[in-house]
Amino acid sequence: MPENDVVAAAKERLEESGLPSDWLDTPVHWGVKAKEQATPENGGLRFEYLNVDVYGEVPEYWENNTEIPRGAIPDTRTEQMGYSIFNKSEVWSDLCAGLYEDAIADRWNSSADIPWDTLAPIGSDLERAVCQIATLMSEYGWTKAQTTGRWLQEISYGYIEVKLFLGTVVFDGARLYEVWRKRALANGGGLGRGGRNWKFLPLTQSYTFSEFCVASIMHDAMLIGLLRRGEQLAQTDAERTIYELCQKDIERHLAYFVDHMRYLMLREPVRREEVHRYLNKAEWYLAKDGDDTLYSALAVIMGDGREGAEEAMADVAELRREQVETYLGYLRQCHLGDRDDRLNEELRKWAGIMPAEEVEKIPV
Amino acid sequence: MVTADKLDELQLEPEVPELDLSWLNLDTEWGVSAEPGRKGLTLQQINKTLYGDIPATSEDSSARPRGAAPPEGATPRMTPWVLGDATETFSDSAGLLYDEAVSRQWSSATDIPWDTLDELPEDIERAMAQLCTSLTEVEFIAGDVPGKWLPRIAADHFESGLFLMSQVMDEARHTDVFRKRALANGGGLLLQGGGGGLRQILEAEDFTQMSSMLHILGEGFVQSLFRLGELIAHNEAEKRIFRLAAQDESRHVAFGVTHLKYTLDNEPDKAEEVHWTLDMFENTIVDPDQANPGLAGALIYLLGDGDVDEGWRLFWHVRRKQVLEYLHRLDVAGLGGRLESGRLHSALVGALDEN
Repeated sequence: MPENDVVAAAKERLEESGLPSDWLDTPVHWGVKAKEQATPENGGLRFEYLNVDVYGEVPEYWENNTEIPRGAIPDTRTEQMGYSIFNKSEVWSDLCAGLYEDAIADRWNSSADIPWDTLAPIGSDLERAVCQIATLMSEYGWTKAQTTGRWLQEISYGYIEVKLFLGTVVFDGARLYEVWRKRALANGGGLGRGGRNWKFLPLTQSYTFSEFCVASIMHDAMLIGLLRRGEQLAQTDAERTIYELCQKDIERHLAYFVDHMRYLMLREPVRREEVHRYLNKAEWYLAKDGDDTLYSALAVIMGDGREGAEEAMADVAELRREQVETYLGYLRQCHLGDRDDRLNEELRKWAGIMPAEEVEKIPV
Repeated sequence: MVTADKLDELQLEPEVPELDLSWLNLDTEWGVSAEPGRKGLTLQQINKTLYGDIPATSEDSSARPRGAAPPEGATPRMTPWVLGDATETFSDSAGLLYDEAVSRQWSSATDIPWDTLDELPEDIERAMAQLCTSLTEVEFIAGDVPGKWLPRIAADHFESGLFLMSQVMDEARHTDVFRKRALANGGGLLLQGGGGGLRQILEAEDFTQMSSMLHILGEGFVQSLFRLGELIAHNEAEKRIFRLAAQDESRHVAFGVTHLKYTLDNEPDKAEEVHWTLDMFENTIVDPDQANPGLAGALIYLLGDGDVDEGWRLFWHVRRKQVLEYLHRLDVAGLGGRLESGRLHSALVGALDEN
């Protein structure tokens, strides 16, 4: 029997039984076979391979406020679901689908993938310093997951790739939280002192996704600057592994946030000044937070105990300078290189950059 | 333009942070050495100390980890409000379920044997594509909901927060895998559903009410269906999808059941409120106007492999199982008696009739 007769017969049987049958002959884009690209060499059936035909057309403006899958036929009875982001430029990055699959391929388990048996007594000062850093890392993981999760209900299915990727950011935040909590409680120590959290307000308060993104770039860049020093800071293989795995996760997050902001700056250059205002706010809170426990704990580790901490502060200052440089480097990738001249004055001191008003006096 | 020799003038020595070692003498619990167990260093392992004590109430809206010393100086309110009473969000099993979620993550790209998808007759392919269209839609909302609640979870009750974070990840994968199946084998995305109660879950402003709808009734029904995925699947790829998704749903259902039990054990007066919620949500999911027109037809068609009468017979078998398992879950949670008291929606009571 020809296929169209098969469908016609199926329709008839359903109707006789009182069941809806519209779905059988609804006009759809038929014949998509994404599985054909799913080879082991290609990483299996990755989400990027679904983006063919109409299903890969990511609209500049998504008009539907329901949960309708992109490419499906709408049911006009469905209630609106309260999404608020309908512009591609507000959230998009071409990297999303790939980063989502990478996050899953790179998945790790803090219970079993960390060589916890390599932890050994390291002396009270060092243990306290590691635990102080662990406490602050946990705080950021928690904040990252909470604040990213909040944006899911704002983004419609039109930009499904973004939402899937943000789901992995939430999960990575959970792991950042718990792996460091475990480290604090696994080696004869305990938790240290919580941070003041003022620096997180630009994340928790963000009214626009763009504000959230640039605040995330700032925090993630500062963190990655620290994680890249893991080899120097880790006391054991367990910690070394934690630094490496967390670094990989945060680099994925930065890849998205940076690529998205680059996309936004190219598509909507008129928003540049607005974005600078968000950066002004994020930097101001970071500088004003004034919580030096992180850098003091790093000094104890780099100085191999409290006695060497004072001397190690110069190395810590260099690390903090690198963090700010790293941050500015990511902003340059976003086409926000003019931030170099507008950086918060406190952060300029951290980075050893001359105050802006002094720079202006230099003859050109 | 600043000339190259002037660039050096711009570079100063970086400011040295102030050294503050007061955190070396904190009054927090010290000397904790959690030992890895059979499954490694799980949350259960690190919760064996005082750090595992769950406060009944928390007024801390900050990100400070439970058991850490408070910071010196002023701290901001991080969110407008948090759900500080453990009865509002906690579950004794949340930590365990999170650990399990982390250890059971799977990849829709590589853990599904996509090469077993053979060409199907067009009616069957359309039915599967329709089912997957509806499922990717449902799972999309199921990821939005825990995201909405995350900022309201107190850090002192972090186990529930971590569980919800793992659920966000699970739902992303479900949204993804059903979209993949719809587009993998020559099909496409078909008709959108009609809401089917998704809006009620999103708009709930009480965590326990939300969880009763999402985790116990909604995901409970989905889990019962997925566990019978063998009846729907036509190849190993589809069987694996349903099996892995059912495994994830089991954790979500378990969270809902254990959260409700925790709440009712500590706040039995809440029972009537949850009954009301379930009255409303049962009514919604059986309301023909809310029904997803494609989902029921496609499901019945797949269950019967094109034989509609057989499909109906198996559909009632599935529905009966869904209702029985739902009632059992409520029993376990301490909310038994919905059937006996006549409170269960009549359409669901009808599903219990073996004929």
